[in-house]
Amino acid sequence: MDAGNDKRREALNAIYFAMDQINAERSSDKLLKKEETTHLFGIGANMDSLELVTLVLAVESRVSNQLGVAVTLADEKAMSQRNSPFLTVKTLADYVVTKIEESSRD
Amino acid sequence: MGISFLRDVFREKANSEAIIWKGHSYHYSWLDEKVVFWLEWGKANGIRPFDVVLLQGEFSPSSISILLALIELECIVVPLSADRAHEQCVFANTALVVWILEVDSNDKVRLVHREETRKHSLYDSLRKAGHSGIVFFTSGSTGISKAVVHDLEKLLKKYTLRRYDLRTLAFLLFDHIGGFDTLFYVLSNGSALVVPEVRTPLAVCQSIERYKVEVLPVSPSFLNLLLIGEVYKEYELNSLKFISYGAEVMPSNTLQRCMEIFPKVRFLQKYGATEIGTMRSKSDQNNSVWVQIGGEGYNWRIVDGLLQIKCDSAMVGYLNAPSPFTEDGWFITGDAVEQDGENLRILGRMSDIINVGGQKVYPAEVENAICEMEGVADATVYGEKNQLLGSIVCARVQLAMPVEKDEFVKKLKTHCKSRLERYKLPLKITFSSGSQTDARSKKMRRFMSEGSDLKSI
Repeated sequence: MDAGNDKRREALNAIYFAMDQINAERSSDKLLKKEETTHLFGIGANMDSLELVTLVLAVESRVSNQLGVAVTLADEKAMSQRNSPFLTVKTLADYVVTKIEESSRD
Repeated sequence: MGISFLRDVFREKANSEAIIWKGHSYHYSWLDEKVVFWLEWGKANGIRPFDVVLLQGEFSPSSISILLALIELECIVVPLSADRAHEQCVFANTALVVWILEVDSNDKVRLVHREETRKHSLYDSLRKAGHSGIVFFTSGSTGISKAVVHDLEKLLKKYTLRRYDLRTLAFLLFDHIGGFDTLFYVLSNGSALVVPEVRTPLAVCQSIERYKVEVLPVSPSFLNLLLIGEVYKEYELNSLKFISYGAEVMPSNTLQRCMEIFPKVRFLQKYGATEIGTMRSKSDQNNSVWVQIGGEGYNWRIVDGLLQIKCDSAMVGYLNAPSPFTEDGWFITGDAVEQDGENLRILGRMSDIINVGGQKVYPAEVENAICEMEGVADATVYGEKNQLLGSIVCARVQLAMPVEKDEFVKKLKTHCKSRLERYKLPLKITFSSGSQTDARSKKMRRFMSEGSDLKSI
């Protein structure tokens, strides 16, 4: 089994887990789809800033609980990126994997 | 004085756009007529000088013309944003309101009379001076909002000086001193006020492109959201000349990135407080967090590392709290600052206030809400730094009985939602077993916000 794929699967699981929490607060016609192409923030997305922060915290917490790795997703580095990691589930999953790899190197 | 100086501008700029709202333009000639219309309407309905009138709405053609008419009528106006409508009753009671004027999202107006016979010495002093007034509500440390009374004659004085005519976005709130500043700056220069549909990065970018907005007054958190949503890439935002920001500390990397994206825009830091109004400030360089604050009628000094300000346009006082001024009339801002000659660097509040995207949250209000729940022995609410919103609200709860924690967290969120605005809801909830107060019975909030070993749920 490829370790990289494992990490990505864990990252996606963490994001879907976090999306469940957001969906629990939403009405049934406004649920976020648990797919990689789902837009999270920006054009085509309909999350507000408090939901985004809740989602990010839940992903961080899930990654920490499941993998024992402390990651901070919304940090100065994320803000300085030319391409935002918060646009879609896919970009966020890629970013989570990068963060997991960074922290396991430390 | 009243608003006669503004009406002169309105007549001079009769054919210019004053307000752009829901895709329609309203010119200054229209606004001037509407002020007269609402003035007569108010009189006909029995609204008298120095009556206290709560005006609920958002920036819109009617709410703006009614606000101006009420000032012309010499009333004491209490603006209230629609999103705080649930607090209308409390605010009306605190501010001794006699009339409630609601402007709905379609600009329809409803007037309600309220039985109120109480008097307040601050209102009496306005009446004696023959000056109209305005009341803003600001969060208070006890969890009760403080009612800040301003003498409009003093507050409006700085707008009598003509400055630049720039198309400006109405981003800040209708019942916020920053929103008031935006409105009167625009009106006093005969400029256009562009009202966005909602305050999201998308709606704001659409408005800037469509209506060629030149000034964007926002909070640093909004700029964060603009960056991570990348909406700016899809719109033509070349018309922008100035972005002003305030209400919270600007992260330097956010400022840096915004300057790369908007190389032609000048970034201006504003400094202000509900009690003293908004001050003009200037930075040495675009990317500097060091600013010079002041402008006519403003003086500052630093006492024990905290900024104090004295100004002509300071509030008359709080309706429901003790005076925050020193005996010699200086306002204690509570902001810690560093000084380098004439330049200041604002470090933020040295208090328990949690600044969520520019909106203030006092821990006591959230703690009170949590402590109402069954099974809670105590709760401590504190802020934690957050890159996106500046700070977020966190709660550490001491339980009086064993509970299923996931279930309890859900209940807590539902309960708080029924009591508090969304930005005040705790996003991180942890549990403790021991007492959360130190020997002097003060909650250990600062210690908690520094503690990194708290495991979140």
